[in-house]
Amino acid sequence: MEKKTRVLLFKPGLDGHWRGIMTVSKALSEAGMETIFFGFKTVEGVVEAAIQEDVDVIGFSVHSGAHLEWARELVRELEEKGARGDFLLLIGGVFPEQDHAELKEIGMDGVFGPGTVTADIVRFIEENLGRKVSG
Amino acid sequence: MEDREEIRKGLEEWREAKKDWPERKEEFRTDAGIPVKDLYTPLDTEGIDYLRDIGFPGQPPYTRGVYPTMYRGKYWTIRMFSGHGTPEETNDRWRMLYEEGETGFSAAVDSLTFSGVDPDQEVHGAAHEVGKEGVPLYSIRGVEALVENLPIDRMSVALVVEPMTSAAVTSMYFNVARERGLRKEQLAGTTQNDILTMTIGYIPWGSLKPADLLKLACDLIEYCTAMKEAPRWNPINFTTYNYREGGIDAVQEIGMGLANAVAHIEELLRRGWKIDDFVHRLAFHLSAHRDFFEEIAKYRAARKLWYRLMKERYKPENPDAYRFRFHVQTAGCSLTAQQPMVNIIRTAYQALEAVLGGTQSLHTNSYDEAICLPSEESVRLAVRTQELIQEETGVANVVDPLAGSYYVEALTRELEERIWDYFMRIEEMGGVVEALNTGWLFNEMSKAFNKRRRDQESGEERVIGVNCYVMEGEEPTPPFRTNPRAAEIEKERLRDLRSQRDNRRVAALLDQLRGVCERRENVLPVVSELTAAGATLGEITGVYREVWGIWQLPFVA
Repeated sequence: MEKKTRVLLFKPGLDGHWRGIMTVSKALSEAGMETIFFGFKTVEGVVEAAIQEDVDVIGFSVHSGAHLEWARELVRELEEKGARGDFLLLIGGVFPEQDHAELKEIGMDGVFGPGTVTADIVRFIEENLGRKVSG
Repeated sequence: MEDREEIRKGLEEWREAKKDWPERKEEFRTDAGIPVKDLYTPLDTEGIDYLRDIGFPGQPPYTRGVYPTMYRGKYWTIRMFSGHGTPEETNDRWRMLYEEGETGFSAAVDSLTFSGVDPDQEVHGAAHEVGKEGVPLYSIRGVEALVENLPIDRMSVALVVEPMTSAAVTSMYFNVARERGLRKEQLAGTTQNDILTMTIGYIPWGSLKPADLLKLACDLIEYCTAMKEAPRWNPINFTTYNYREGGIDAVQEIGMGLANAVAHIEELLRRGWKIDDFVHRLAFHLSAHRDFFEEIAKYRAARKLWYRLMKERYKPENPDAYRFRFHVQTAGCSLTAQQPMVNIIRTAYQALEAVLGGTQSLHTNSYDEAICLPSEESVRLAVRTQELIQEETGVANVVDPLAGSYYVEALTRELEERIWDYFMRIEEMGGVVEALNTGWLFNEMSKAFNKRRRDQESGEERVIGVNCYVMEGEEPTPPFRTNPRAAEIEKERLRDLRSQRDNRRVAALLDQLRGVCERRENVLPVVSELTAAGATLGEITGVYREVWGIWQLPFVA
């Protein structure tokens, strides 16, 4: 049996809009993935946990307008820990479409704005991890 | 209803005659899941007694409105929720809105102001979020800049901060008024101060425990109202809007709101106050969501239920205490990033619900809010939406025009029963603080938002632009950007403040606050002195966290 896809989800910063990421967490679990939802976490803590827990995907949600800043910080931390490229990186939340390209340039693999259907996130993970999630 | 039998017979015949006419769906339900019949007739309002259950506006049970003249006397207050970047920029926006005819203001604050964190505290990357979701109000200097050149003695301001920072931010506002030679007794306004917003709606970083949040919320009510320090101020606004945004339905919205109000009432009674010392100042902030008639019936039912709660349980002498006063915000979560202009139409219908439901003030969302904070242009349109209802539709010329509609009256009664049952369920489990501690309330939210997602993804709940009438290749709306220098500006503001204030005095007052928190006395007197002396939100909230500890949320492993 294949290993279950492991996804680590968190909210960076102080912004308390949790509904989006909790919804995604539930949807990914329903799709057969193993999700770890941290709530608030520093990027240092997240990267450390991601390495320790050997997850496949790191996802986070930003509603504060600080999406570019948080994406850069996560990538910087991954680089520092020598873990850049070890995880599929996903960002979701409320931010303008005009910023999608820049988020990808920064290093986000998947960028999911308002109105995203959770099935699209599942499909994206499946396609980009090169294997079907079990479940 | 002497011809009831004839109506029944007629209805049966009518149903029989139309049985070969197909309907769009097997069954129809309201947003809260109440079955909707094909037709409502006098049979559906049987048992509703006009004088007892509906009555006259401004009279018990207030179903038709809390004031006798409603909008024939004066229109609802156009109160837009706004704030971004720096206090100076928000002040510019407020003055623009003032020129556009806005009569009330509501300060949207940033995530640091909600959580009680300063931008120069190296906490969790706080500086990234300065001014992003609202105006930063970290010290009295911020509030001074926010209301500069605005006539605060002639306008009403809602401070949308929650118990963690409500004492501090409200006292900053009062202190600014004093600097201007005004007395806080002259000030009209509201502090949101809602514990559920910060525990199930929006979950801020480093939240305090529910019982401590309740204590802080009640401190402000006690100080402003019971102790008569600011008798015209609404020291709390039970913000069922925020819970509703989490995905719950109209029944849960009002049920949770009533249970939340009761928790505060009981705490203040426990402190030795009489119901008449404070209850007349308790107010609500409701949502206007997508089911048109259900929302209108919800407002009517809520007024009636508040009256019932007061009459049966608390029996205040002040007649004002029986009036369920509320502000409405159109549902932000109903807006879509796709085809954003459609949001103007959604918001207009929701605004109409609030007006037909007898709201006291109204915020209309701007069409770009599913993407970013609103631009000047989009806010102006949102204000115009309300002005249009006032000036061009004629709906405000008559009180409670939908009373007597078989459907609306039947729905009002149905909601009333369901809400009361839901409220009693929370009461039976020990009230909202207990329901927060066990995670039950959050679980209700989580079930609701997951169901909404499934319903939207399956197409059961239709959303234009998302799962129907989708357009490809849309031009994205140009986003409004907040000031990228906001963090620098605010850090500098605090640097200046810290170098100019009497730091020994601040430290001594913070020590006093520590003692007050340990003894669980009212924090307002010392917090007022602290903010006047230039203490910051981070310093004040830091003491709460230090003495009482941080809440470990029951639903996150």
